[in-house]
Amino acid sequence: MSVAPAPITRPIEFRNATLDSTIAMLRVADAPALADALHKMLGGMPDFFNGEATVLDFAELADPPQRIDWPGLLSLLRRFRLQPIGVRNLGPELTEAARQAGLALLDAAELGAPDAAHATATAPTPEPPPAATPASAPEPAPTATSTLFVDRPLRSGQQVYARGGDIVLLAGMSNGAEVIADGSIQCYGPLRGRAIAGAQGNAAARIITTNFGPEIVSIAGVYKTFEQGIAESLAGKAAHVRMLAHGAEQKLGIESLALD
Amino acid sequence: MGKTTTSAAFASGLALRGFKTAVIDFDVGLRNLDLIMGCERRVVYDFVNVINGEARLNQALIKDKHCENLFVLPASQTRDKEALTEEGVEAVIRELEHMGFAYIVCDSPAGIERGAIMALTFADEAIVTTNPEVSSVRDSDRILGILQSKSRRAAEGREPVKEHLLLTRYSPKRVDDGEMLSYKDVQELLRVPLIGVIPESESVLHASNQGTPAIHLKGTDVSEAYTDVVARFLGEDQPLRFVNYDKPGLIKRLFGGK
Repeated sequence: MSVAPAPITRPIEFRNATLDSTIAMLRVADAPALADALHKMLGGMPDFFNGEATVLDFAELADPPQRIDWPGLLSLLRRFRLQPIGVRNLGPELTEAARQAGLALLDAAELGAPDAAHATATAPTPEPPPAATPASAPEPAPTATSTLFVDRPLRSGQQVYARGGDIVLLAGMSNGAEVIADGSIQCYGPLRGRAIAGAQGNAAARIITTNFGPEIVSIAGVYKTFEQGIAESLAGKAAHVRMLAHGAEQKLGIESLALD
Repeated sequence: MGKTTTSAAFASGLALRGFKTAVIDFDVGLRNLDLIMGCERRVVYDFVNVINGEARLNQALIKDKHCENLFVLPASQTRDKEALTEEGVEAVIRELEHMGFAYIVCDSPAGIERGAIMALTFADEAIVTTNPEVSSVRDSDRILGILQSKSRRAAEGREPVKEHLLLTRYSPKRVDDGEMLSYKDVQELLRVPLIGVIPESESVLHASNQGTPAIHLKGTDVSEAYTDVVARFLGEDQPLRFVNYDKPGLIKRLFGGK
């Protein structure tokens, strides 16, 4: 019988994990221009993000520059509380500098294929459905009818995320609360905080409420804020929000709902 | 916001109804409750002393001068908030239960720091006091959320803490003039059952300066309103009072009014 402590046979062990990350589609790579856009998009909410791991996707880069100011770009994203971890779809002449800046070089297959939804909305030729390629296994299997029910009011400072499905709020939500769903959001009672549907890019997701009064709504990354207040015809009324596509331009449409 | 005034009045009200009641000040570092209860000169040991084992609970409990069966456990003025440990607070509350206290009122400090969390952790029911203004309502919303996530009842998956909403410093005239949220607005925002509305009043100020809980000021609106709150808490049906502004009829006729 040995009394010596068992030696640690494997000081480091590697396991597989999938990481849910946010994808930032950069159409320009110029830090000041992005700073402007982020500021406009998030306005008074610099803490909208919460340190989410972010992959920078350059597939839609309009005018690929000679070089990218990586330190400037990364510090900008961190300022908005995004944590850049890697890049993809970057031109070969730019990848070396990205690697030196500490970013992982990823290709689309490594990230599963959440761009299927993206592609239908942005690119004219939709990619084949991900089911056809077994390589895209890491994507969380969308369990067909996983709906998250929240029975109590969602209060200021609280956050709920319905991963891979819809969410139903049965007691409404307050200002300062946040509800996120990969699918749609239904809210019985006042919808007052931030409602983010289609968080993984599902542009067909909708937001439905019996009492419309949010601070921000978002579907598949398209945001709408209400700095100027909410139109009288909608405020406090039943309404639903969905994505409207006008050619390449995406916009959120808000319509009132007749309940009876 | 009226939390300590309310704790003092509410605990006194329960004691007046004959329940053996303890009221604990969780505002370590500020210590207001004993002032409002008028027993600040009798503080020898405090809540933190008891938690640290430096004094026994019955040495620290101060008997109220108005009510036979009301006891005050004062906060420490010299310690910081970290002195409140969850185990310590739990031990004190269990011991109070063991001593036969029917109600233990925990006076929470403002904010969402340790003192407030400790005050709500062991709650069975919570009275959230709020003023009829937007920022106060938002804070109350936040604390309601914390109540439902941090309390023992939530952690153990038991029936959630029962919530009551109490509006303090309510001025029906200012509501009429559109300067204040009405109690209906507040209730609509927070969606918690209303246990009472305490009118804004100078007598509250007098009461706290004299070290007399407001419920003892017989004949005042504030005293009546707190008496109603205690009655509703005990399950009695009481119509809501002091929420309507009676325009001064004679003066209106004389000077034309508005």
